[in-house]
Amino acid sequence: MAVAVQFSNVGKKFRRGAVHESLRDLLASTGRRIIGREARSKRQLFWALRNLSFEIAPGEALGIIGPNGAGKSTALKLLAGILRADEGSIHVNGRLAALIEVNAGMHGDLTGMENIFLTGAILGMTRAEIKTKLDDIIEFSGIGDFIHTPVKRYSTGMQARLGFSTAAHVSPDVLLVDEVLSVGDVAFRHRCEERMREMVASGVALIFVTHNLEQMRSICHRTMVLDGGECAFVGSPTDAVGHYLKATMTRVGELSYVDNPRTGKTDGRVMGMKFRGADGGEVECVRPSEPLTMEIGFELDRDIERLTVETAIRRDGGEMMVSLNSRHQGITFKAPAGRHDVRIDLPAFPLGGGNYFAIVRLWDADRTQLLAETPYKFMLQVDDQGKGTGLLTLPHEWSALKTIEPMLANQKQSADAAPLETCP
Amino acid sequence: MHAASASNPLAELIRYRQLMASLIWRDLRVRYKQSLLGMAWAILLPMSMMLIFTFVFTRAVKVVGGLDITMPYPLFAYTGLVPWTFFSASLLGSVNSLVANRNLVTKVYFPREVFPFSSIGSAFADFSIAGSVLVGLIAYFHFATRWTFVPSAALAFLPVVIFVQMVFTAGLGMLLAMANLFYRDVRQLLGVAIQLWMFLTCVVYPIKNDGSWWGIVAVCNPMTPIIKAYRQCILEGTIPTGGAFVSACVTAVCTFVIGWWAFRKMSHKFAECI
Repeated sequence: MAVAVQFSNVGKKFRRGAVHESLRDLLASTGRRIIGREARSKRQLFWALRNLSFEIAPGEALGIIGPNGAGKSTALKLLAGILRADEGSIHVNGRLAALIEVNAGMHGDLTGMENIFLTGAILGMTRAEIKTKLDDIIEFSGIGDFIHTPVKRYSTGMQARLGFSTAAHVSPDVLLVDEVLSVGDVAFRHRCEERMREMVASGVALIFVTHNLEQMRSICHRTMVLDGGECAFVGSPTDAVGHYLKATMTRVGELSYVDNPRTGKTDGRVMGMKFRGADGGEVECVRPSEPLTMEIGFELDRDIERLTVETAIRRDGGEMMVSLNSRHQGITFKAPAGRHDVRIDLPAFPLGGGNYFAIVRLWDADRTQLLAETPYKFMLQVDDQGKGTGLLTLPHEWSALKTIEPMLANQKQSADAAPLETCP
Repeated sequence: MHAASASNPLAELIRYRQLMASLIWRDLRVRYKQSLLGMAWAILLPMSMMLIFTFVFTRAVKVVGGLDITMPYPLFAYTGLVPWTFFSASLLGSVNSLVANRNLVTKVYFPREVFPFSSIGSAFADFSIAGSVLVGLIAYFHFATRWTFVPSAALAFLPVVIFVQMVFTAGLGMLLAMANLFYRDVRQLLGVAIQLWMFLTCVVYPIKNDGSWWGIVAVCNPMTPIIKAYRQCILEGTIPTGGAFVSACVTAVCTFVIGWWAFRKMSHKFAECI
């Protein structure tokens, strides 16, 4: 079984506009159509998904990211068999479990235990199967003594935990996960991630749809970016996140690029930001240990006596990494109205592998007034050559201070010691 | 193989029988939880209907003498009301089953027939409980009145009658559930229609084909021979062999086949239309 899931040129269209909800609407709209006020073709069709092709092997985890309405959930529903494709074909090898909405089948009046059996049956488990896994499920959920309490008295997080725990114990060949991990506390989320990794390691093909990019990156081998119902990018999770964010940021940037968002007045605008490597050439990707130069171009509409320039950098997961502000270096610029450039030289850019986004802010230091601000749109990728050091790549050296006694010698000693005499 | 394109719908249903059992169990559990009388309601509802009709027909308008029945009226009414309650509860349950389980229909895949079928299943549980009271009722009228009960082998035919009714209900239930998905008016209409239908069926009074349009409608209605068959098997000791029952069987099978075919054909659209 080489392929667990195969999508070939899958397309799905939906009807935009009115769907008749009551007989009265139907009669009214049929009447209008007969009179000719409303042409049939006016009920437009649009493609929620088009020409989507991909394959997943057993033991592979594919992440799907994309903006709202990109077709992520439609893809999962097609895969789960809830919707039927209008074009192309979908093949699934083996048992499929969809964690699209694990609480869908739960009933508030039933106890946690009863709901485990119900959810299990909905997910395709047999009663006998659920019985053998019951203890594991209850333990995993951490519900404890509340298992005999009606679910309507549970907190939202507890309900989600119960649902996910049941679903996590179905033994599928293909697992679909759609944003179910966003509820539940940190500890439980961590356990879920572990469980998903375990399942993937044991040969389950995983499809993971999420907006939590950090979580996606830690679980998935490969990531697809969906946009407007089409596959915009497939590749390593980091590259995909970069692609996705760049596209999103640019789109956001076009909307609010020039205006000063706080005063509503336009005192100036940032023209652009460039990254240059050690050789002075423009780069999009840098090594953490190599020198980096940032160039910021801007235009001012009036003379600024003391201008400060700031750039702030965030990682793609949203973490604020650093803010570089000229005033913190004791530098302000006396800038007349017109076009200017400033430069920041960094001997190294010691951040971890990933995508980074920069903003630029221009300040009038005398009045502490913001003159212009860009959204997070200037992207720079850091290539740590797959070392995965975390948020930073700190320059450092390892050395030995003294030879450490091996543990084995100690153990051997105690084994050699005379055994205790048993008292008569 | 894709789960949604299973070649044999029957095999798929059998695979999901435990889910069906779980949904029936959920329905019953939820219906009788937080109610003081619990399962007793399954008996109390047809029983109180019987008492109402007995009062109406023997005290209020006193037409029982004119009705052509050979058994005590309460027995007649109860043997009509219990299967009728089963029929109407199944149908009302089925018609709403897809919409009521909206979050399952849009989020999880399994054969959608499970919903109307499990509605029939949970109504059947109530039917069995209410039916068991009939034993006591028969014993009471046997010993307390001049009417005598003659046990007969025809009782063995009862499961066939129940089965025919279920097949008919399932077929109709699937059609109506589907229709209700597209137009919610169906459920409201059914609530009224089922009342009217009861009076077109020999539930609380016998119906004869007297040649009038009303008689013809009543006899063509497949529920008439089915309800009649219950009384024949249990109380009269005869096996329903007449053309009316046979045609009811044919109607039931046709309704089921058409209903299931249409349901299967449309089921992939349910998640979009709901």
